[in-house]
Amino acid sequence: MRGSERVLALALGCLAAGSVLAEEPARWLERMNQALTTRNYDGTFSHWHGGQVEMLRIIHRVQDGTVSERLASLDGSGREFIRTGASLACYLPDKRTVVVEQRPQQESLVGFPAVNDQTASFYEIKEVARTRLNRRDTHVITVTPKDEYRYGYRLWIDDSTAMPLKTQLCDAHGNVIEQIVFASLTLSSRIPDTAFRPEVSTEGFQWVRDRPPASAAPVAAGSWSAATLPPGFRMTVRSAQTLPGSAQPVDHLVFTDGMASVSVFVEMQQSGPPAPGAAPAAVAEAATVGSSSAFSTVVDGHKITAVGEVPPATVQFIATQVKAQGAAPLGARGR
Amino acid sequence: MNEELDSQLSAMFDDELPPQECELLARRLSRDELLKARWGRYAVVGAVIRAERGVRLNAPLAGLVNAALSAEPALGAHAVPSLAQQARLRWWQPLAGGAVAAGVAALSVLWLRAQAPLTVTPLAAQRLPATLSAAPGAVALKAVDAGAASYVTPPAPLVRPMLVPSTQLANYVVAHSMFSSPVTRRNLLSSFITSEQAAAEAEAPQVDVQSNAR
Amino acid sequence: MSADVSDLSLVRRVQRGDKGAFDALVLKYQHKLVKLVMRYVRNPAEAEDIAQEAFIKAYRALPQFRGDSAFYTWLYRIAINTAKNAVVSRDRSPIDYELDRNSHDESYEMQGRMKDAETPEGLVLTDEIRSTVNAAIDALPEDLRTAIVLRELEGLSYEEIAAAMDCPVGTVRSRIFRAREAIDRRLREVFEGGLGRAEELG
Repeated sequence: MRGSERVLALALGCLAAGSVLAEEPARWLERMNQALTTRNYDGTFSHWHGGQVEMLRIIHRVQDGTVSERLASLDGSGREFIRTGASLACYLPDKRTVVVEQRPQQESLVGFPAVNDQTASFYEIKEVARTRLNRRDTHVITVTPKDEYRYGYRLWIDDSTAMPLKTQLCDAHGNVIEQIVFASLTLSSRIPDTAFRPEVSTEGFQWVRDRPPASAAPVAAGSWSAATLPPGFRMTVRSAQTLPGSAQPVDHLVFTDGMASVSVFVEMQQSGPPAPGAAPAAVAEAATVGSSSAFSTVVDGHKITAVGEVPPATVQFIATQVKAQGAAPLGARGR
Repeated sequence: MNEELDSQLSAMFDDELPPQECELLARRLSRDELLKARWGRYAVVGAVIRAERGVRLNAPLAGLVNAALSAEPALGAHAVPSLAQQARLRWWQPLAGGAVAAGVAALSVLWLRAQAPLTVTPLAAQRLPATLSAAPGAVALKAVDAGAASYVTPPAPLVRPMLVPSTQLANYVVAHSMFSSPVTRRNLLSSFITSEQAAAEAEAPQVDVQSNAR
Repeated sequence: MSADVSDLSLVRRVQRGDKGAFDALVLKYQHKLVKLVMRYVRNPAEAEDIAQEAFIKAYRALPQFRGDSAFYTWLYRIAINTAKNAVVSRDRSPIDYELDRNSHDESYEMQGRMKDAETPEGLVLTDEIRSTVNAAIDALPEDLRTAIVLRELEGLSYEEIAAAMDCPVGTVRSRIFRAREAIDRRLREVFEGGLGRAEELG
């Protein structure tokens, strides 16, 4: 780049929201996401959450546009998730059961958060150290949220492969909520189909197959949206689908701020009065699923559930902002 | 050199110092690098006497751990998780009376699927947030936190039908996982298959402990 | 004397946010833990990695430690689990990191530097430490030597040592202390002198 061009680029860079210097750590995040979604790898890692540690194995392969994935518990339960193409199977040796469902292929590589300039407005992304982890040279990248709507991350990203050898999920106070550390990791060009077979023998197991509803009436997606969102969040995916076991289709909206994502499911509430003697149904409910948060509420006879790897307040905020388009919103119309 | 202090240090190292003096000395020890170094040398002496071969004696390990911990948050602020653990709903276990969660029998597929260990922890039941202003950066967070801190197990949680049955939540979470960031997606799905049995095993008492420290 | 008071007072400090107190626990138990882990892995460097990991796991799990068992017992279990996991994962899928034959586990940060695990100076220091301590012990008056050996090798309490040596408990405490003082005088030279040498070469 010529001298004058360089000066101009720098000047423009300084004018932009993020400085030129801040680019490199964010680029590491992009490289990491690339590696996780496009490379073939086979590794074992420890998963720490809520004071408990467990070893798991993950195998991931992308071949001819099809993603295959296997996640298996190496301790105790022996449970496994295996995804091959459009089919997702959950092996539960302790229950001697296998649950299989079909999922549309399109969701494999679409719509997940991508780190972009917007992201830098809501997270401070820094490389704080370079260190060796298990004899690998890694970049320690911290992603610190600028408000309490999001979680933070600490990532040890391998210099040569960009794989995250260690990741920590932190709350707004910096406490570690969850941690994953790879004990071993192999990146290979070829992973055979046999790698995606379960460890356990399924003889004598009960197989539960989910069947799609006989008449899949097309659903008018697009009638729901959020009036206001926490800063930085925007909708990236909108779809309608019928989830396994459900009689009705569900609207599925996905919001993301570039790092974290929140799904909102809107479902027509099953009508009918409560059974006599039973307490009335809750009007709103919060829950945690591992390190993710969920919040449900009812609006206009529809059940709205927000789920995501964000603090509880965020899913609560989003769920309560979802309205049918055309309905008068309570607050100002948002982004 | 303060002989009395060092004498106390020696006694504390052997677990022979009265509790009150221990408390005081512990505080001092944690901040005083020279005292710590002496304490560390006491440990080295013990290792040599016990002829612990193959073990490196010049203490790089302590320094490495110290450096690693400098990146760790200080302990002491985990109120919410422990409450959540108490309130954990093991919904795949039969209710009193032996029947599986009533009302979801029709969703048999979901129910079986939901036997993957999904910990659904109700944080706040039947409470709409007080005021959720539309302005970003609102104090909604405080409302939820207050709820968590004062959470009390509802008297009969499963008599009242949950707004979203755990089974359905399981499906939502899996559906969502397809859209999570690649990094967190793995965390999410790991929660599905990690076992609570592992926790129980870790708590079981160990039988054979050889320790020269006592 | 109630058991484990010393460790518990340190543990409680750590639980309240005092990381320095954890250093003391590491210093006290690191050799024992490495020796324990070496029952599962032969390689001392790997054993140290695992011990390091076990300490860090213990730190993070400390909020859950209630004092139902002795701290060292609890730490011991964590170390065993960590060692087992390391062996299991190593055997299940081969570690395919590019083995860095240069093998200096240097951990360098933007702020400062820290001397590392496997430099030759490290090995020299261990032997030097060992022979210094042994020489110092041999040079001790017999009552001091007996007291400290009964304590460190046999693990006897002060009361038990008092019974064995037919003297008051206070005397035991004093003898052990003076033994340590004498040894420490020589040991300090090695540690502080050794560091000085390493700095020059580094």
